[in-house]
Amino acid sequence: MAELGGPTYAPLTPANPTIINGLAAVDMQTGQHLPPQHQQVMSGGEHGLVSMVAATVMPPPAATPDQPSSGPTGAAPGAPALPQDAQANTVDRHTLVAVLQFLKNNGLKRTEDFLRQECNFFDIVDDEKQGLGGDTEVSSVLSAYKSEGDPAKYEDAYKALHSFIEKSLDPYKHEVAQVLYPVFVHMYLELVYNGHEEVAKNFLERLKGTQEEYYQEDIHRLSLVTNREHMSGYQIMDNFRSSQFTIRLSRDTYSHLKRFLTESGGGPVPRIIHDRLYLDVYEGVPRTKAQVMATAGAQEGEAPRQVNKAKIYYGLLKEPEIPNLAMEEEEGEEEGDKPKKKKPKKDALQKSKKNDPNAPPGNRIPLPELRDIDRMERAKAFRDTLKRVTLQKDTLPSICFYTFLNATGNITSVDISDDSSILAYGTSDSQIRVQSITPIKLRCMKSAEQLSDIDKEADDVLVRMMDERTAEPVRTLLGHAGPVYSVSMSPDRNLLLSAGEDGTIRLWSLQTWTCLVVYKGHIFPVWDVRFSPYGYYFASGGHDRTGRLWATDHHQPLRIFAGHFSDVDVVQFHPNSNYVATGSSDRSIRVWDCLNGNCVRVLTGHKDIVDALAFSPCGRFLASAGGDKRVLVWDMAHGHLIAEMASHTSTIYAIAFSRDCNILASGGMDNCVKLWDFSRVMEDNHEDDTNVANNPDVKRCNESLLLGTFPTKNTPVLAAHFTRRNVLLVAGPFDG
Amino acid sequence: MSDDSQVAPSFPPDSIKVVAESIGISSIGDDVAKEVAEEATFRLRLLVQDGMKYMHHGKRKRFSTCDFDNVLKMKNIEPLYGLQSVEHIPFRFASGGGRELHFLEDKELEINEMVTSQTPRLPLQMTLKPHWLAIDGVQPTIPENPPPITKDLQKKDSVDPAAKLTAQQDHKDQKHIHGRGMKSIETVKVKQLATHELSAEQQLYYKEITEACVGSDEPKRGEALHSLAFDPGLHQMVPRLCTFIAEGIRVNVVQKNLALLIYLMRMAKALLDNQTLYLEKYLHELVPSVMTCIVSRQLCMKPDMDNHWALRDFAARLISQICKNYNTTTNGLQTRITRVFSKCLNTERTPLSSVYGAVAGLSELGPEVTKVFVMPKLKALSDKIEQCMEGMNAYDKNAASHIKGLLLKTVAPVLKTLRNPPDTVNDYKAEYGYLGPQLQVAVVKARQAPPSTATTLTAPIRAITPTTTRIIQQGSMPGIGGIGSRTVVVNKPPTPGISSQQPGQKVIIMTSRPPTPSQSVSTETVGGVMKTAVVNTGAPCTTGLTTVTVNPGSLAAGSLSQATVAPQATTHQTTKYVVVSAPNQPSIKTEIKEEPDTPQPMDLT
Repeated sequence: MAELGGPTYAPLTPANPTIINGLAAVDMQTGQHLPPQHQQVMSGGEHGLVSMVAATVMPPPAATPDQPSSGPTGAAPGAPALPQDAQANTVDRHTLVAVLQFLKNNGLKRTEDFLRQECNFFDIVDDEKQGLGGDTEVSSVLSAYKSEGDPAKYEDAYKALHSFIEKSLDPYKHEVAQVLYPVFVHMYLELVYNGHEEVAKNFLERLKGTQEEYYQEDIHRLSLVTNREHMSGYQIMDNFRSSQFTIRLSRDTYSHLKRFLTESGGGPVPRIIHDRLYLDVYEGVPRTKAQVMATAGAQEGEAPRQVNKAKIYYGLLKEPEIPNLAMEEEEGEEEGDKPKKKKPKKDALQKSKKNDPNAPPGNRIPLPELRDIDRMERAKAFRDTLKRVTLQKDTLPSICFYTFLNATGNITSVDISDDSSILAYGTSDSQIRVQSITPIKLRCMKSAEQLSDIDKEADDVLVRMMDERTAEPVRTLLGHAGPVYSVSMSPDRNLLLSAGEDGTIRLWSLQTWTCLVVYKGHIFPVWDVRFSPYGYYFASGGHDRTGRLWATDHHQPLRIFAGHFSDVDVVQFHPNSNYVATGSSDRSIRVWDCLNGNCVRVLTGHKDIVDALAFSPCGRFLASAGGDKRVLVWDMAHGHLIAEMASHTSTIYAIAFSRDCNILASGGMDNCVKLWDFSRVMEDNHEDDTNVANNPDVKRCNESLLLGTFPTKNTPVLAAHFTRRNVLLVAGPFDG
Repeated sequence: MSDDSQVAPSFPPDSIKVVAESIGISSIGDDVAKEVAEEATFRLRLLVQDGMKYMHHGKRKRFSTCDFDNVLKMKNIEPLYGLQSVEHIPFRFASGGGRELHFLEDKELEINEMVTSQTPRLPLQMTLKPHWLAIDGVQPTIPENPPPITKDLQKKDSVDPAAKLTAQQDHKDQKHIHGRGMKSIETVKVKQLATHELSAEQQLYYKEITEACVGSDEPKRGEALHSLAFDPGLHQMVPRLCTFIAEGIRVNVVQKNLALLIYLMRMAKALLDNQTLYLEKYLHELVPSVMTCIVSRQLCMKPDMDNHWALRDFAARLISQICKNYNTTTNGLQTRITRVFSKCLNTERTPLSSVYGAVAGLSELGPEVTKVFVMPKLKALSDKIEQCMEGMNAYDKNAASHIKGLLLKTVAPVLKTLRNPPDTVNDYKAEYGYLGPQLQVAVVKARQAPPSTATTLTAPIRAITPTTTRIIQQGSMPGIGGIGSRTVVVNKPPTPGISSQQPGQKVIIMTSRPPTPSQSVSTETVGGVMKTAVVNTGAPCTTGLTTVTVNPGSLAAGSLSQATVAPQATTHQTTKYVVVSAPNQPSIKTEIKEEPDTPQPMDLT
């Protein structure tokens, strides 16, 4: 449907990457600008609208709510649970025009017609604005920077603000200090825009020392912008000009700041604070320095409180009844030694799932129906669970390290299947290799003629299907045309997803060892792709700043999660498959609801790119880590940051929860695996469960939670995975 | 742009002019050049910034040309073809005509050469290798895992033991600051002074290894030596292993058991080869042992039959390895070793076997050392050899021919660089006596050999000033010693010793600093080698323990062995004599005597 064609190389004319906040990918290839209306929609941060756009842009299969999965899986109806008609009625004309214009812009004629028919909307879309499109949009946003102010005044005004903050009373000081950075940036941009380049440069040089450490990188990037022409099409600039920087202030602090602003009279500072900053005022005591610092650092400022108000069903789905067959087998194996001891354990496991008030209804998101093979898999998993070692402070896990040899700088992604039998890795030379890490070799399915000869009623039909002669320990999948940045295996180990620099996501069969589908939705490189824990759905994120939700049988995304201000670097499914978390280069984490595409949590606090996300198996906690060398733990219930673990000395690429939720493992470029005591984090968190209104104190731990550090010989850790019996598997390439 | 050129380099306008010229635009204004330069800088930085994302997701720490290509592709710009390289492409620099240029070397390749040349070896296949990083939370010390204490740490520890204390102090202070308000139930970890508690596994390992190393099973020995040479995490056992070697040498020199001496030297070699160990702390045990094996008068029962020369050569290589790895200006290791050897050469009545050892040791230390210490003695040696060759003693003859062979081998390359051609036989004969003609032949041969074999004279050498040698010696016999050292090897005939030792006893002399740690010595006899584990409760073995292995070649087993020590005459020290029974006595007697630091029978000047 997106007949946008491959990249056409225009020598030496840089493409015009006018990235509009949000749905940027689609218009970038053609180098055109979105009409202003559309941009309003996108930048308004109204995710309801965004998701509607996403839904509208969806192809016919998604738009018609029918059986999403045909065939044996026979999923419940209505995977894309947005009733199109109901939506269309509520879409106001304005939005519709914007969407239509967007479609027209991109030559998506059929979709446009389709949408017109759906909505009975046949007005002619005004083309005049479109002609002006690009220029007007950029200039209108930029012209906001126009001011007649005397350039010399800027520095004085900034210094005045700075000294006011320095002299403020301690309770207010740290909260007020948050305005320094956005004011600083906007002042610089105004100076540059108005052609006072030298002044701007001096301003930046002299005063950048007053900013926090974690802003320095951005300031350095900003310092590259030295004239007006550079201002358009530069990512960090786009973010600043198109969004308001959010700052949370207590009522007292707010009035304190207000008094200063009125006293100081005119000048650039009050104007910038008024126009460019969104002050989220709350009732209560001002926060301490530690509290302010904990959530600062993201490119969009702090998350406004109301975005994290939405309820999240973080509980786990009810497990389907485990087939009796499996249980009998189990008891037969164990000779019924301790039947009494086992029973309560089993009950306990199931009871917790039954009575979870936070669990979403089982049919909230349609999930594929269980097949026989899935039931067997569950039974196997359950048996493993019974044999699981409970990890504690004193009983640390064993760690098995899979080292890639002769692969320096070549391995770009690693994934280990849920049952820890297969390891897949992608390389920078476009290969995907799948390796069995158990003695069972990888077999290919027989050819069609041979398959037809098999007795389908036989008990071992699954074994018979496979060709014994093709057994190999390693298999290579070729198809990508660039580094493979992510691989992910389906829970049943029959499918493998891969994504890479070529902008495609590929679905591979691990039975025929061929590529089944190429999903071309992202245009720019796809950084991460991940299967849902129940299969069928998968999520992806890429350089186009969107996260996308897909189903394996749709070649277009079901949802587009737009809202990040920079690349989406990592995606992760919630264990109940109802939510997707995305981590971004804008240093924030967002959690999206798969049902309606809404952003339900914005988590700020990372000071650098987010590279790894992991939900706790209980579903309540989210751990994240990345370039700022820290592991942060978030409570899904309220979106609070509850713990910070800093001990790594380089980027963290892998985090994993033990299956019993007691241990958190992390590893990264500093060549070591660290284990953290997560049970203590949970204990302390339950104590102050009642204190919902304000941010709880962040547990800042370097040593007390750290249970162990296991260095390797110069082998960075790229993947970590707990087996069902709680053995930690980690993998990385040995760096000669 | 000039302001932040330190932070981020920028395109100078000159470059733009050069580029413009290269595409045929000759006149380009300064303003234009500046404008274009700024724009180019901005665009390039932008590309590099976005390229970092590819680097980051490629899990690399180094930016590569592929990243740049990818970002160009992303920006819809045609990538640069032909610059694919995994490695760093260096810029060449050239200047001339007032211009300075940086350029990429782009050699023309001859297609015929490429076709006819051998195909390069295929890169190795990627493989996956599992190992246990931890077992139940404990990291096993296997070659796949890093050593628990890195070599750097060991080095730091031995060079500056006080650092640990200050670090601990800092740590404590930090805790104090950060620990406010937090439940701090952590106990401050004080490093135990007695660090040498070996686990049961380690004790087992020690037993197995030592037995294998000196046992009769050669394949097993190979495995044991391999383990010593490659296993990480041996550092806790090193003191014991070194003591084992030292004790073993001491006993077996007396018993003239050549085979065991060789085994022990191989063990020492394995330890020295282990990349994860830093042995400086234990040199006081290793060096005397190795030196003994080089210069001892007699190393085997039948000196005229057994090939003890090989052991001397092997030990000489070992000592040069030790020098190379551990010589610092502080410990003056090479100086002291060199002095021992040269003393040996300078003394008239040194036995021939010791002379051989001294020459071998010196020549292993490099041509420069040979030049300074062997060359002057060449004539004297030559005379000595002549004397022996003409004599009737078969043993002497044999020894002399070995020395001759060694000298010809080691001196010729040095002579070649020292003397100018022509090499006449008479000159050589006049200068070097008996050896002259043969040396001449060897030098001529060396000159004809291709230059690549020529030995360079660049080996480092420490200036060795002839200081007063504080040799500990009694009687008039030649001895070898080190100045101000804790370790002395004495090679001399028996003379009445320190005090009333009983025959059949051996002496370990330990000096330690005033807060005298209690020391206990336990011995057990394994395979004829006495193992001694010195449990030292003080800072292990740094300055505390002085061991002297004495090897009076002429001593019969069981007779009194004699040692002398030069303790550091600086602080108050306590010298302990630990008298350990010799292995042939079944009962183990240990007595510790403490004495104030009274002058030992030695010359302390």
